[in-house]
Amino acid sequence: MARVKNSQELLNLRDALRAARRDRARSAVRVFVGMGTCGIAAGAREVLDALRRELDAHRVTAEIVPVGCIGACQMEPLVDIQINGGIRVTYRNVRPDMAPRLVQEHIIAGRVVSEWALARLAWDETDPLAQGQPDGLDALPQYADLPFYAKQQRVAMRNCGLIDPGCIEDYLARDGYLALARAVSTMRPADLVDEVTKSGLRGRGGGGFKAGVKWALAAKQVSDIKYVVCNADEGDPGAFMDRSILEGDPHAVIEGMALCGYATGASTGIVYCRAEYPLAIQRLREAIVQAEAHGLLGDDILDTGFAFHVKIKEGAGAFVCGEETALIASIEGKRGEPRPRPPFPVISGVWGKPTNVNNVKSYANVPRIILNGADWFRSIGTEGSPGTAIFALTGKVKDSGLIEVPMGITLGEIIFDIGGGIPGGKAFKAVQTGGPLGGCLPTRHLNVQVDFDSLRSAGAVMGSGGMIVVDEDTCMVEFSKFFLQFATAESCGKCVPCRVGGQRMLEVITRISEGRGKLEDLDTLRRLADGMKQGSLCGLGQLTPGPLMSALQYFEEEFRIHILEGRCPAGVCKMLTRARCINACPAEVDIPAFVALIGQGRYAEALEVHREHNPFAAICGRVCPAFCEQKCRRADIGEPLAIRHVKRFMADHEIQQPWTPAHVDAPRSQRVAVVGAGPAGLTAALRLCQQGYPVTIFEKLPVAGGMMAVGIPEYRLPRNILNAEIENIRRAGAEIVTGRELGVEFTVDSLLDVDGFSAVVLAIGAHKSRRVGIPGEDLPGVIHGTDFLREANLGAPPPVEGKRVAIVGGGAVAIDAARMAWRLGATEIHLVYRRTRADMPAWGDEVQAADVEGIHFHFLTNPTRILGEDRVTGLECAEQSLGEFDMSARRRPVPIAGSEFVLDVDVVIPAVGEAPDVDCLQGSAGVSVNRDSTITISADLATSREGVFAAGDAAMGPATVVMAVAQGNKVAVSVDAYLHGHRMVTPRWVGDFRAIPQIFNVDDYAEARRPVMPELSVAERYRSVAEVELGLDEAAARAECRRCLRCDLEWMSTTHPIGASEDALLAGMMED
Amino acid sequence: MSALCVTIDGKDITVESGATILEAARTAGIDIPTLCHHPALNDIGACRMCLVEIAGVPALQPACTYPVADGMVVQTESERSVQMRKFVLEMLFSERNHYCMFCEMSGDCELQAQAYRHGLAHWTYPTPNPRLPVDASRRFFLMDHNRCILCRRCIRACSDVVGNHTLGVMARGAHTMVTADMDQPFGDSTCVSCGTCLQVCPTGALVDRRSAYMGRHADVQTTESACAFCSVGCAITVVTRNGRPLRVEGGFDGPNAGVLCARGRFECLEGRERVAQPMVRRNGELTPATWDEATTRVADAFRAARPGAVHAWMTAVALTETMDAMADAFRNRLGAEVSLLSRPPEGPLPNGGALADIDAADRILVVGGDLRETHPVVAYRIQRAADHDAAITLVADGPSSFSAMAHEAFPMARLNDACKECQDAARPVIVYSADLPPEARQALSGLSTGARLIPLHSAANMPNALTLGLGGAAAWEECDLLYVLLQDGVLTEEQRERARSAAFVVLHAAYRGPDDDLASVLLPAPLWHERAGTFAAMDGRRAVVKPSTRRPESVWPEAAVFEGLAARV
Repeated sequence: MARVKNSQELLNLRDALRAARRDRARSAVRVFVGMGTCGIAAGAREVLDALRRELDAHRVTAEIVPVGCIGACQMEPLVDIQINGGIRVTYRNVRPDMAPRLVQEHIIAGRVVSEWALARLAWDETDPLAQGQPDGLDALPQYADLPFYAKQQRVAMRNCGLIDPGCIEDYLARDGYLALARAVSTMRPADLVDEVTKSGLRGRGGGGFKAGVKWALAAKQVSDIKYVVCNADEGDPGAFMDRSILEGDPHAVIEGMALCGYATGASTGIVYCRAEYPLAIQRLREAIVQAEAHGLLGDDILDTGFAFHVKIKEGAGAFVCGEETALIASIEGKRGEPRPRPPFPVISGVWGKPTNVNNVKSYANVPRIILNGADWFRSIGTEGSPGTAIFALTGKVKDSGLIEVPMGITLGEIIFDIGGGIPGGKAFKAVQTGGPLGGCLPTRHLNVQVDFDSLRSAGAVMGSGGMIVVDEDTCMVEFSKFFLQFATAESCGKCVPCRVGGQRMLEVITRISEGRGKLEDLDTLRRLADGMKQGSLCGLGQLTPGPLMSALQYFEEEFRIHILEGRCPAGVCKMLTRARCINACPAEVDIPAFVALIGQGRYAEALEVHREHNPFAAICGRVCPAFCEQKCRRADIGEPLAIRHVKRFMADHEIQQPWTPAHVDAPRSQRVAVVGAGPAGLTAALRLCQQGYPVTIFEKLPVAGGMMAVGIPEYRLPRNILNAEIENIRRAGAEIVTGRELGVEFTVDSLLDVDGFSAVVLAIGAHKSRRVGIPGEDLPGVIHGTDFLREANLGAPPPVEGKRVAIVGGGAVAIDAARMAWRLGATEIHLVYRRTRADMPAWGDEVQAADVEGIHFHFLTNPTRILGEDRVTGLECAEQSLGEFDMSARRRPVPIAGSEFVLDVDVVIPAVGEAPDVDCLQGSAGVSVNRDSTITISADLATSREGVFAAGDAAMGPATVVMAVAQGNKVAVSVDAYLHGHRMVTPRWVGDFRAIPQIFNVDDYAEARRPVMPELSVAERYRSVAEVELGLDEAAARAECRRCLRCDLEWMSTTHPIGASEDALLAGMMED
Repeated sequence: MSALCVTIDGKDITVESGATILEAARTAGIDIPTLCHHPALNDIGACRMCLVEIAGVPALQPACTYPVADGMVVQTESERSVQMRKFVLEMLFSERNHYCMFCEMSGDCELQAQAYRHGLAHWTYPTPNPRLPVDASRRFFLMDHNRCILCRRCIRACSDVVGNHTLGVMARGAHTMVTADMDQPFGDSTCVSCGTCLQVCPTGALVDRRSAYMGRHADVQTTESACAFCSVGCAITVVTRNGRPLRVEGGFDGPNAGVLCARGRFECLEGRERVAQPMVRRNGELTPATWDEATTRVADAFRAARPGAVHAWMTAVALTETMDAMADAFRNRLGAEVSLLSRPPEGPLPNGGALADIDAADRILVVGGDLRETHPVVAYRIQRAADHDAAITLVADGPSSFSAMAHEAFPMARLNDACKECQDAARPVIVYSADLPPEARQALSGLSTGARLIPLHSAANMPNALTLGLGGAAAWEECDLLYVLLQDGVLTEEQRERARSAAFVVLHAAYRGPDDDLASVLLPAPLWHERAGTFAAMDGRRAVVKPSTRRPESVWPEAAVFEGLAARV
């Protein structure tokens, strides 16, 4: 290798290299294999070997080029194939067994294997004149157009994944070392500092300190020796961009450091890289040797007399060594601990000499800035934070990986556009930026711009660039505990606030996560956090409380639930989550127990378990959205257990057996009035009867059941089933008086003052439809969703037969109305919803069923006007596009101007939400109502009037049967306490603890599949209210129960010491 | 260095640039609370007690490390600072067992004092119970990790002051512990028992076994004195209670800069049977006698002895006043030939260096002897200089405990080569054994005009002995009477052999010992802490020794004994 003597020679060399490579490529097959650590971990080595074997077997001469990481971790191993200098085709998730077909079809037959191909990759090494483009190329998207890539912009990572990092010629052909050549031959060091200052480059290590200012200070120091240190101690779990750059483009970092050396007057560069990055270190070593051999590094660079040497210092991998003073201590061979600044390293650093410390990414940016100019750099990103940011996007996001984006992009764009959103239909919860010392940002910050200052003002930090997306299944208590554990374990132990404060915080958060917390703990945490933040010596200690504090700021309610209710809403905290299904069930039904009992054919016992928490097994077996199944652990390895289906089987099996709920307490004289005979009212009445109180339920409608009777259509819930379970409540002793309307025939005042009731439970439901608020909403032919369903369910359906109907809305009522209208003989049914299908609040199965039944969906469509003179003739709608994210983590629909169109319909059924009809509270003094018409309650469900409680939809807004049941249980506990003369803080309905043995080997059911619910054919459903779901047979139901993983038993054995009885239980597990 | 003006708590203070806020504040009598700070140690800003508010600086800053700038305005007792100190104290009290009631340091503990100052009336966080080990494997003092606040003063003392690097921290975060070497028991470690760590510990984590629970600072008396066990002449503070010595502390302002050796700090106080009153040999047994009886016997022996057959041996560790009195009495009035127990060097001793010169040296030439055995404090000083990049050149025959840390080593025969190596040094210091042959010393003195030379004597007051012209014990034909001023030393085997040939032996000693069987009469000498006087240290200083405990009436000062004897004879 010849030394390059000046810039002209370097330019010539570049051109020659480009030409030679193009020539060589024109007649060659080249296979690029992503061989970063991530690729290798995903099996790239095996893929490379398989490809080579296959090529040899076919006697195909091909050049196999190992390249760095392109960032698409989800898709590793990635293989690019380029034939005769043409366009590269990228294949994703390549396995060794795919090699034969790739070679056979793509390389030999010249045909893209389209089902494995990801994209085509055109970049500057692509030869426009090249022949040999494979067939099928046109059908492939450009790599740059892939959602994962489209919003990215590569500056620091521009070469990663494209060039062979072990080959300096690859770098030189991509303008490598031209910036250095230009600087040393045409610029004074001060010019270089000026250019970096003008570019506005801010330190990419996370702090965001202006690089130009630091360089200028370092340049100003008078010293015989100065150092340029590259901080490659990337210790943030989940962030690996520094490694990726060092592995994929080591020369960029070396060139950046050399430029810094020239600017600041330093002749020694030290890369401090953790020893856990062996590949990065190896690549760096090779690169240093190559650069020195070319005269681009070493004593007399490009014969200008400028000397710059780069050494590597391997760190043992302490997180705190990323702090610059600790890093310097470690370079000096001392224990890696920070020291107070001043003096700053730029004045007194390595061995007391002026030292410029910057991050890998900062240095990697510098050659581009010098080559393209500060103005170019400023044109990317924002005013305050020019350039790009690199994130390791990970967590609950569809496409994870390393991404480089211009500063100023919003968090929502990164998560939903680049990352593809949240997998599994789960809800976005928060995003943690800045790694374990960062902060989490909730939904409301999805529109925050990603740059140093905006993130900081939102309460998070840029930090190391870790970006962890979490969904509803993440417990913020556990999540922040995890980071706190990491940070406290990495505390060096030098200063008191960090060493002790972190430990105290960890103890408190652990206590909370185990249900042993106290409310004062939240203040204690804040106090500790403040002490650590203000008192700690270095950033590690100051930022350690960050994740927890931001979680507490945005998710305090979740912490309070852990403390006050001993419950982990996300079902993560081990001590608080017996099983995820029980945890997910609002009524906390002991699901594993009843499922196990069904599996053993003990249906009556199973039903008894169910009724302990929820008296409506047959109803919920039909209409429950099955929150339990959404969290079922079996879904992690396949499909969730069909809990609702087996529950229905159990309930139906026993439906003929009358149930007289047992009274658990002696009869009491205080009488309780329940207003409303819906699920909440009925459940409350049941529990109060069981506790010995005489209860009277007053119902406005002619039938009992509330929304179960007049909201849910009969084809989902047959009336005989409903009535059978309501009858059980009567058997418990509750008197149900129908046709008695609050506010008309009686008031809360009269119940308490005249009728002698000691307490009143308001469970009046949410039967009033919200208005859309568009012109024409009062025209004849407009009937609101709940009214429509009520009339239909009470046997007096509104006339829709033979008519064209438009439904507005995407919730359960909208779908029920649509399907009901279809059954009533409407000819054409349009469902207009302003967002996308994925955004619909309605239950997916129901949407699916409506689809099957022929409902026309109009997504991203919003009604603007209901047309008609004296009755409805049409519905004018406007198409919507998606704008910013709203509080539900969904994009807000924005009307597209001029997109209006008219649906010709005769009936419009608006179903955009329901609310309690609180007009009936006239004359019920002292019961306050919220702005959304729900009744104001405290945590124990007491209203603002003493002795009056509220539960169900009336208190929480429209919800589900099981949630109403849960509230019914809860309000009964609260009323009982009240009638005993005290108040509950957080009433909770607690059932017996059961451990039903598992009498079979779970492995035998590892391969079992979820049964399919038999359904009525679509033809049979039309113009009929016959039940659609037909129910599982006994064999299917019992077999399904054995798929249950019995998380409850695991909980028992891991978090509760096993006593003698449990030993016997486990011993019984293997019999059957 | 230029003067700067800063305003601290409203007071305008002028200090040299480079001073820290803490230093500036203390010159003005403003007491900023500290825990990890110790004036003799490098500051590390770890405990966060001294956090202060600086106008224009958003975060609180440690006063102990933050340099003052001209015009700086500092608040040391702002609400934020005080709150932060309370927080730090709460944290420390929640970390380990700081239940003061049973602690040796209660009353003298800096942590406890800060807690009182900041009104910590209760534990804010649950009282901890970590049950950490107590390392009692060291002979003179023990380490109770339960009381440790991890201020690292002990570690800095060990590394920065003594240069021994035994102590360090292991693990991290809440698991951080002070440890010796690679987590050895302290007693098995490279610890040299200099006790500097013990002296700087702010709490009861390092406990002196001898003086533990013997009294708090307010209950004891202290006497500034000098250690007379070797020619270094370390400044010491002798701590006593009711006339009983409790412990010895090193003086940070002395030539030793706070460091002492195990002998000077601990071994000297070890209980040994002392000679409490005169004894005479009756029927072959040493039995108690009155001073009159004993002196009469000795006087009789003097009178009976033939001229020229009376010899006196004197320890060169004796204080100048004792030495002078003995030389005068025995030479001029008792007609004895006086000689030294240790052989004095012959010829000139090039000198002129002080121990403090070692700190600034760029090359240190160590010639002869085994410093770590004979003059540990000098050895520590050289170790410390080596940490600051001074090159160490060792010239010695045979193994030396210094071999491991020397950058170069030469045999004595190649002394000249070693000297050549030092020729280029900017600030060379030569530490040599005074027992070197004269020609070797000659070679050293010719080395370099800029070199600082420090002779190390085999005995503390040898320079004074030299001025008195005393020599080593001469051969005798016959000896009718031998008088040995032994103090707390012992005779060599050779000396003991010779003493056996004397007809009558008077032993004047502080402790009972192996030489007692030689004695015809045994006279009590005062202990080192009962004596007053001076001695000439190796750098020519006149070190002043003060009595810190009362001498028993049955023990007379040596000079009085000599006088009495001379009068009788």
